[in-house]
Amino acid sequence: MEALRIKALSKQFGGVEAVNDVSFTVNVGERLAIIGPNGAGKTTLFNLINGQLSPTAGRIHFFGEDVTSLPPHRRAHLGQARAFQVISLLQELTVLENTLLTINGTKPHRFVMFRPVMKFEDVLQKAVDTLKGLDLLEKQDEPVRNLSYGEQRRLEIGLGLSMDPKLFLLDEPSAGLTKEESAEIIGIIKNLKTNITVLIVDHDMDMVFEVAERILVLHYGQLIADGDPSQIQADQKVREIYIGVEDSVDYAGTA
Amino acid sequence: METTKQDRGQDRWISRAAPYLLGTLVLLITPLFLDTYGQGLMTRFLVFALFAMSFNIVFGYAGLMSLGHAAFFGAGGYTVALLKLHYDVNLFWISAPLGILVATFIAAIFGIIALRASGIYFLLVTFALGQMLYSLAWNVKWLNSKGMQGITGINLPDLGIPGFTLDTISFYYLVLIFFLLSCVLLYRLVISPFGLALVGIREGEPRMEAVGYNTWFLKYAAFVVSGAFAGLAGVLFAYYNLFVSPNHLGIATSFLPMVMAIMGGLGTFLGPVVGAAVFIFVENFASILSPQRWPLVLGTLFVLTIMFAREGIGVYLWRLWTRWGRDYGSVKN
Repeated sequence: MEALRIKALSKQFGGVEAVNDVSFTVNVGERLAIIGPNGAGKTTLFNLINGQLSPTAGRIHFFGEDVTSLPPHRRAHLGQARAFQVISLLQELTVLENTLLTINGTKPHRFVMFRPVMKFEDVLQKAVDTLKGLDLLEKQDEPVRNLSYGEQRRLEIGLGLSMDPKLFLLDEPSAGLTKEESAEIIGIIKNLKTNITVLIVDHDMDMVFEVAERILVLHYGQLIADGDPSQIQADQKVREIYIGVEDSVDYAGTA
Repeated sequence: METTKQDRGQDRWISRAAPYLLGTLVLLITPLFLDTYGQGLMTRFLVFALFAMSFNIVFGYAGLMSLGHAAFFGAGGYTVALLKLHYDVNLFWISAPLGILVATFIAAIFGIIALRASGIYFLLVTFALGQMLYSLAWNVKWLNSKGMQGITGINLPDLGIPGFTLDTISFYYLVLIFFLLSCVLLYRLVISPFGLALVGIREGEPRMEAVGYNTWFLKYAAFVVSGAFAGLAGVLFAYYNLFVSPNHLGIATSFLPMVMAIMGGLGTFLGPVVGAAVFIFVENFASILSPQRWPLVLGTLFVLTIMFAREGIGVYLWRLWTRWGRDYGSVKN
């Protein structure tokens, strides 16, 4: 079954084609990585899929429904979750408040005005369970800014999962992490339920080849390769981009 | 330990509620020992505290810097005044609901226009819309009593109880009832999922959208609800002041809740009330001491607050209170 269908998708910024006529489909449960040098259009593609940007041309279908013109919050309700490249957690709010806000986001009671947020026992329970799973329960009353970078990453990814997504978009989940923290994140992704479709953008090739079943390569906004990890490793064009051209050997570099 | 905030909150309940109970008690008893001037001053304080609290929902909680909040305050006041002027209606139970309704209606329209913009542009649009009403009030004959200076001749409201007319102190208690009722409603609002979502929008709107919140709608709802409470404050103000002028719709009045909320503590529940208390009482005493230069005193106070208690005087007092509690063992049992 098809989870995501991208058809002739383009996004122009001024004269720059950030994403240029990209088409692909993703099946339910697939673990797909999108790689490419800096500026290849990976994050722009994520922004189009998740609705932060609207495309200049092309369509996006999510589980058969055309979501091209839906705002991000509607896509969240359809089952998309996202972990951002730059951590998007609300820094001044506590870990628990962040968790409650994320869980409430796709619940009908998010508009309720005259019942305390702490009185929604089932949500509170789910928040406690989520935080216990992330080993962050003792820090529930800490503002997020007091957490280490690694903990914030873990929380951001864990909260994305607490939305029970059908499609999980991970934008550079290992950026800025130590090897151990990175391994931890890989563990989380590998242990995801098989009904969750995962799209990952990352520069960390260890991460990509560890978790991805299929890899797309973007270069200057265009899709230049699509295949399983061994095919991509053997692909001549990909080798040229990553190894042959001196300037763009920054796949292990910073975001 | 699977404790949650809620469980651990139980033992601190008394110490958290204490400032509220103490405050209510002071508001209930103090006017009995004051002359009518003092009672009037306290009424003025309650009216502006309510106004500042309503503004705090939009600015402090949702992070929307509105410079036209007096439009809703003035709309409430003008409704009361116009009903008296043109229709000789002074029944509280007609004027007050209508005043709130008109303010809410105007907020509903202004919200649609202003929330198309954000940040500094939102500020400019709300400012422009407020000034538009201000200008209308100067120029439309129907909106003025003789002399085109606003509307005079407002009386204390008729409560429809035979043989009972309001005087200064009973009007104070009427205002107090509505103030306390609003406090309860607004408190319920800020601790609700809706209230938490507003704070979330203030702290990071893109994330809130990505996790499923229609942030436009939430901001709009906050704007309209806030307008309704500002309208109630305006209704009560008209009866207190017995006179409304275009100034009550314009920028001069829009600044007041902003200064009060910032002085008291933005985004905290009682901050604006503390800010309003400081503002109103200092304004009063400063104007007695120096009829010409009282704004100087207020300005100095504002600067000092920003310098030494940036989070607000209310937050500062709250810290003192909790520290006192910790030191003397009444907060923790």
